[in-house]
Amino acid sequence: MSSVPTTDIYTQADTLVAAYARAGYARVSPAILQPAEPFLDLSGEDMRRHMYLVTDAGGREFCLRPDLTIPVARDYLASAAAARPAGFCYLGTVFRDRGEASGEFLQAGIESFGRADTAAADAEALALGIEATAHYGMADPDIVTGDVALFSALIAALDLAPAWKRRLLKDFNRKATFAHDLERLTLATRNGRSEYQGVLAALANANPKAAQALVTDLLSIAGKSAVGGRSISEIADRFVEQAELGASSALPAETRALIERFLAIAGTPDDAAQALRALAAEAHISLGGALDLFESRTGFLAARGVDVRRIRFATAFGRGVDYYTGFVFELHDPARRVDGQLVAGGRYDALLTRLGSPQPVPAVGLAVWIERLAALGGAQSGGGR
Amino acid sequence: MSALVLAVPAKGRLQENAEAFFARAGLELVKPRGARDYRGAIARLDGVEVAFISAAEITEQLAAGAVHFGITGEDLVREMIPAADDKVVLLDGLGFGYANVVVAVPEAWIDVRDMADLDDVATSFRGKHDRRLRVATKYINLTRAFFGSHGIVDYRIVESTGATEGAPAAGTAELIVDITTTGSTLAANGLKMIEDGVILRSQANLVAARGAPWGKSERETARLILDRIAAQSRARLFREVRTRFAGCNDALLGLAKDKFGVTTPFGGPTSSGMLTLHCPPDNIHALASFLREHGADSVIVAEIDYVFTRDNPLFAKLTAAL
Repeated sequence: MSSVPTTDIYTQADTLVAAYARAGYARVSPAILQPAEPFLDLSGEDMRRHMYLVTDAGGREFCLRPDLTIPVARDYLASAAAARPAGFCYLGTVFRDRGEASGEFLQAGIESFGRADTAAADAEALALGIEATAHYGMADPDIVTGDVALFSALIAALDLAPAWKRRLLKDFNRKATFAHDLERLTLATRNGRSEYQGVLAALANANPKAAQALVTDLLSIAGKSAVGGRSISEIADRFVEQAELGASSALPAETRALIERFLAIAGTPDDAAQALRALAAEAHISLGGALDLFESRTGFLAARGVDVRRIRFATAFGRGVDYYTGFVFELHDPARRVDGQLVAGGRYDALLTRLGSPQPVPAVGLAVWIERLAALGGAQSGGGR
Repeated sequence: MSALVLAVPAKGRLQENAEAFFARAGLELVKPRGARDYRGAIARLDGVEVAFISAAEITEQLAAGAVHFGITGEDLVREMIPAADDKVVLLDGLGFGYANVVVAVPEAWIDVRDMADLDDVATSFRGKHDRRLRVATKYINLTRAFFGSHGIVDYRIVESTGATEGAPAAGTAELIVDITTTGSTLAANGLKMIEDGVILRSQANLVAARGAPWGKSERETARLILDRIAAQSRARLFREVRTRFAGCNDALLGLAKDKFGVTTPFGGPTSSGMLTLHCPPDNIHALASFLREHGADSVIVAEIDYVFTRDNPLFAKLTAAL
């Protein structure tokens, strides 16, 4: 029944991807049936309920690919080109349980691996994203951007215990809980610690090495052996770290204020950069190379003809996917005729290492929601309605 | 007349407890064709077909609306049925099959007391080992929802259908989510519960399927069954206390209601000072002392078999849901 419009949608998307291929991105079509493990490992258990999982006779778990980034990255790592700079483009079906909406939909996209010129590669990804909306008749989509690396740089620059840093970095990805977390961390007085209060207090003033050795000895005297994947020394480390943190310590109020001011910074990239420099100077911290990269990226975007004054940047804008490590962006319909982003992308420098690459491989990419763009009804290059 | 289908666990303690529960409510489950039959009926009550199947299967059948009533654990309902409250109604906890679904970690993890600790450990574990903490469980959905509510993301679920508590020692997982009654199996395997890690306090429930065919005759049969069950479960909550003394008045009764939670099924004292009270079992002795202090010579306490009331709260709950 729906084969005619579907074919239309595919044909129109195909022209877009053909243009990506002409721009030097090799067109690939990874397998639809994928091992489930990499998706669950990289995207977390929460992804499981959106995945169509199947088990083979030997008990191995497979899934219908819920995205194409991981399949493209895995094929690249398995190929002779692994670790060398390479760009890929794709068009294909992805499968996600989305409740009412169809679980099967088309995505096009780009993956760029191994480029050392970070700022230029970031700018190129965004420019290619705008090319996608333009292909569907929308030359000026709303552009929303963020930069996860700026937040990481802020946290790295703060004088905070490692436990706080870990926690804040992890929670940044979850906008809904982050504010709540800050609140809790600032007010937190940990209850129920009384059992070890004395030991913790004694350890707090001990030399960390000696404290660690003591806890290790105590555990072995008590006959507790390590089970599961955590070693005794790992447990002792964290126990001592908790002691150093102080049983009732909380995130200092001024640190919280600084984080909140940082996360309130938003606007055009140029205004934001200025605000970030001012904040860093006032707090006597350095955001290191992250801010330089940010400004350099804005320059490359302008050079590619993107009107950077139309970009809405926000430090608090981070994707819910925890493998993004730097630049992130989304393109939206200014008239909001469809729900959700039309194009989304970003930098995920840790992804290939997590997939088993022996050396770090920088990576940036984007994905295009074909049905959403097609639903806008506009068409620039024929084939549409 | 179409029959109401009641699904009862087919094996073990759960079956014994379920049969005893129905027997107490005056509903004797019978197997006309012998003990090994998987279909039965209720003695002296027409229009009921009893299906003896496994608790997991009961849960599936309830979700599908293939049976009207079933006895199953709340843990299975919450785990196996997505958006369970849209599919079934938990009518009443039955007072047996108690078990908690809990998060348990190795005892050696002295740095982990609560879920916030576990969250931190999960994140640092991933940083150190380049893989996620593994949680062995058969409660995949409960675990995911509970960990999500605590903001824990850096973990993986390893499906385990038996002897889950052995997974950490076997090296197939770092921690577990499992069902436990006393915690002794956990302790025997070198595991401890996390303080705020109780995901669900479960017990056997009488569950109704929203999607079953609820015609007029099924509703009427359900009303009869639920009337008896409600009368019995209400009786379970109280002891009957009888006494007679001259000094008994409304002020004294008001005090007894406040202090001991008693009810007066037949109103205040009769003209001869005869008084009947229903009192929660835990307060019986205190009430008896109180009554004697105020002039009662003797106080007689008895267990109650049934309390039939004009209203039928379980049936009201069912009809409200259908």
